[in-house]
Amino acid sequence: MSKSSARPLSPHLQIYRPQLTSVLSFAHRLTGVALGIYAVALVAWLTAAAAGSQPYSIVQNFMQSLLGQVLLVGGIFCFFLHLCGGIRHLLWDTGRGFELRAIYASGWIVVAASTVLTVAAWIGSSILAR
Amino acid sequence: MIIRSSDQVPRTTLLKRFPLPRNFGVSKQSRVERGRRWPAPAGATRVKTFEIYRYDPDSGNNPRLDLFEVDLDECGLMVLDVLIWIKSKVDSTLTFRRSCREGVCGSCAMNIDGTNWLACTRFVSETREHATIYPLNNMRVIKDLVPDLTHVFAQYSLIEPWLKSKTPAPETERLQSPEERRELDGNWECILCFCCTSGCPSHWWNADRFLGPAVLLQAWRWLLDSRDEATGERLDDLEDPFRLYRCHTILNCTRTCPKGLNPGKAIAGIKKMMIERRS
Repeated sequence: MSKSSARPLSPHLQIYRPQLTSVLSFAHRLTGVALGIYAVALVAWLTAAAAGSQPYSIVQNFMQSLLGQVLLVGGIFCFFLHLCGGIRHLLWDTGRGFELRAIYASGWIVVAASTVLTVAAWIGSSILAR
Repeated sequence: MIIRSSDQVPRTTLLKRFPLPRNFGVSKQSRVERGRRWPAPAGATRVKTFEIYRYDPDSGNNPRLDLFEVDLDECGLMVLDVLIWIKSKVDSTLTFRRSCREGVCGSCAMNIDGTNWLACTRFVSETREHATIYPLNNMRVIKDLVPDLTHVFAQYSLIEPWLKSKTPAPETERLQSPEERRELDGNWECILCFCCTSGCPSHWWNADRFLGPAVLLQAWRWLLDSRDEATGERLDDLEDPFRLYRCHTILNCTRTCPKGLNPGKAIAGIKKMMIERRS
């Protein structure tokens, strides 16, 4: 077996074309991991809120800073992308939507829907905050 | 934007590769280095550049990327014609597999412009301005564009791709209705080129234990065959966290199949069959 291990391995991730199929799948996994981290942050935020106005104001100040807002929008987008992607996965689990046309259509719908929902959530929250 | 069939070449490309270093996570012996440039012959009219992965096992050097300038007026229409022209006119050491030149044998499967396809059915006019040709992904390279397909064929023999029955053989054929035969359509046409398996990221990470879309498409073909009587045993063999269930519906396989088959759908069918027999 030493001969086969001496042979080089052809490149894969380094040269394969990013396509909607692989990119959305990777994004689903990445947003899932990100949401896991955001869940911990959510608990931290709730704990700070329960602890009193002083610790909460520290969290509040961070959330209102530029970095906090960017992370917030990113988190909302991760949430909706993972949600819409999850629905796409559930549709596949029924056995539907496997023709190439349907794969691409549902993929673009997931991207469009999560963008629209993120923008809607952002606008909705700023209206509610007023 | 909406791809209707796998032979559709994308009109625009936002990203040619993932934003990673060229030799990201690659072992020392697999690092691809810059190779030599082979200029076009004098008097060439329509010149196109092809970057081709080269590896010479006898030299002891690392694989490299050679740049060939090809006179398209002298070649046929397909990428395989370009490779044959390079081999006959420019560099006779260029090594690749080929046989039927019409897309039915699966020998010339390789990675062209980042996606896997058969070189004999890919038009040169459909490739990028500076086309890239690599061997099938995540395979041990024997020489240049020739991958070692031993382990994927071993995975194929693992699913026992033959008719298994307990009832004794009838005097004539084992009969099958036209509807039962129609169920096999879309599954028997696989030419085992392994474009799908080498394009599956899940197979990249678990090539030793995950069977891959090509093999699982054939597993589905035997599960669907009405004459096969070992359905239960076949499903038992797939009850394993790796053999079937490393598929995460990435669907690169369906996108890249040069015969227009749908391994992703077949794998979903197997998963459904696995669940349905439990209830």
